[in-house]
Amino acid sequence: MENRSLIQHLIARPEFGPLVLLVIEIAVFWSINHDFLSPQNISNTLAFTVELGLIALAMTLLMTSGEFDLSVGSLFGFSPVLMWTLFNSGLTSLEVGFVAALLVAAFIGLVNGWFVTQLKIPSFLVTLGMLLVVRGTALFVTDGFPQRTWSAEGSWLAEALVGDFFIGPFRIYMSLFWFIAAAIALGYVLTQSRTGNWIQAAGGNPNAARARGVNVSGVKIGLFVLSSLMASLAGVISSLRTSAANPNSGTGYELEVIAMVVIGGTALTGGRGTIIGTVLGILILRVMRNGIVLIGVPGLAYNIFIGAIILGMMALHSWLERRHQAGT
Amino acid sequence: MAEPLIRMQNIRKSYGRVQALEDASFHVNEREIVGLLGDNGAGKSTLIKVLSGAVPLTSGDIFIRGKKVSLRNTSDAIAHGIETIYQDSALVTQLSIARNLFLGREPIKPPRFLNRMDQDAMNTVARDLLKQVGISKNIPPTTPIGSLSGGERQAVAIARAMHFDSDLIILDEPTNNLGVAETQGVLSFVRSARDSGHSCIFIAHNIHHVFQVVDRIVVMRRGKVVADDIDPKKTSVAEVERIITGMSDKEIRDAIADGKPSH
Repeated sequence: MENRSLIQHLIARPEFGPLVLLVIEIAVFWSINHDFLSPQNISNTLAFTVELGLIALAMTLLMTSGEFDLSVGSLFGFSPVLMWTLFNSGLTSLEVGFVAALLVAAFIGLVNGWFVTQLKIPSFLVTLGMLLVVRGTALFVTDGFPQRTWSAEGSWLAEALVGDFFIGPFRIYMSLFWFIAAAIALGYVLTQSRTGNWIQAAGGNPNAARARGVNVSGVKIGLFVLSSLMASLAGVISSLRTSAANPNSGTGYELEVIAMVVIGGTALTGGRGTIIGTVLGILILRVMRNGIVLIGVPGLAYNIFIGAIILGMMALHSWLERRHQAGT
Repeated sequence: MAEPLIRMQNIRKSYGRVQALEDASFHVNEREIVGLLGDNGAGKSTLIKVLSGAVPLTSGDIFIRGKKVSLRNTSDAIAHGIETIYQDSALVTQLSIARNLFLGREPIKPPRFLNRMDQDAMNTVARDLLKQVGISKNIPPTTPIGSLSGGERQAVAIARAMHFDSDLIILDEPTNNLGVAETQGVLSFVRSARDSGHSCIFIAHNIHHVFQVVDRIVVMRRGKVVADDIDPKKTSVAEVERIITGMSDKEIRDAIADGKPSH
């Protein structure tokens, strides 16, 4: 009896659907091509997964508060460009360039948050505008060309962010630990902390939250800043790992990240969010991208599968939500 | 006579050229349930919005226990112990009962820098409160508001007001859209709130509900308070209806016979 209710409890959780999907995905890809679970493939997949994942974690909190951020992809491209431009021109060390890139990102998040909360413009429009401003700046500053990046070897910043080592046959980058730390920290904030309660209330019923003295605008502005900072950090990590700083990189990431978050079970309309679900959503999309190529489906067909997953998961979540509202 | 808990004096409120409140004066005593009645457009909503800080007044004064206060927003009003309960609007449906009860005032577990909610304490208090307002069913405090009925939601909102020592609980149409049993439930929550020392303003379209629970009835008409000391034990529903519409018995009978609306 106890056991049965535990299973029912598990099934009713929004993370259950994504978990099942991920397991099926892995099983199917592995059964078609055993290389799918080879150490080399797992290492390669994880390296980029955590970079997008960092953005998705912050986006989960922002979307729970009822907003979203389309400018993350452009910041992913812009921040490393800024860092390398400062460094290559001899103005700053790499580390100072990194801090400068984060500060600029934080400022961009602040502007996003200010437009949304003070001017009451929907975040869709504000961050779409910001996407164009930031991407445009990255292209203008670089004339559209990638920046020189080879001199990062031996810098402690590069070691701390993307230093790699082997655990058995697995090649692990430091960024994996940053991702795990961020997931635990943000999961804690969302479910255990008072701030988490405010984030959910801000997205669920902002007027009620305001009436209880919750600083809804402050919460949202903070989350916009967090989102920009994570996108910037992810861009720098990716750039250091691949030794490239392309002003065009990160194009389209905003939608992939939002897809990861909603597949995981976070409500697009706000009020409900789950970090565990987002981690599953991140893995679902990245495993799909990797597995499709590995089993020989043309990479160009990738989006068909992603779209189908999004639609299927949305149908599942809406069904669960209705059951939830009906009190069963 | 002792200073009332709330005194609103010569309140005026105009929206552009529309005068919603004209010199309305109104008071609520300690431990008193006041029924506020009036036809649509009589100004009772506006009066309540002014008192709950939702709209600023054009002129007039508000006193709490004889001290003049200014209520610029709803947080101000809550800080002064005035809690307004609208149907549905005051709760976050996605959050649990306990998280709603403590929203904005969550207890923190030491060490404080971790900013961690004391969810066990919240659940314990929530369980007690639910019992106190008389929710008979055994609802766990971790239940999301979204899966509660309308009456249960009202109960949670009333419980919250009671727990945080609101002196005055304003209930705006708390029995709308509720079934008979649920309505009786809400009326008993209101009585238990008074018994534990709170005052209430009770607004309802259904005069019979008002009669069942209030100590005193105040009637508004066209932005003014036209009667503020009606004892529901000594007055009939018909008489109060007459005061609300401002018509004589004969006028009401004629209006009904003609099929005209009664205002």
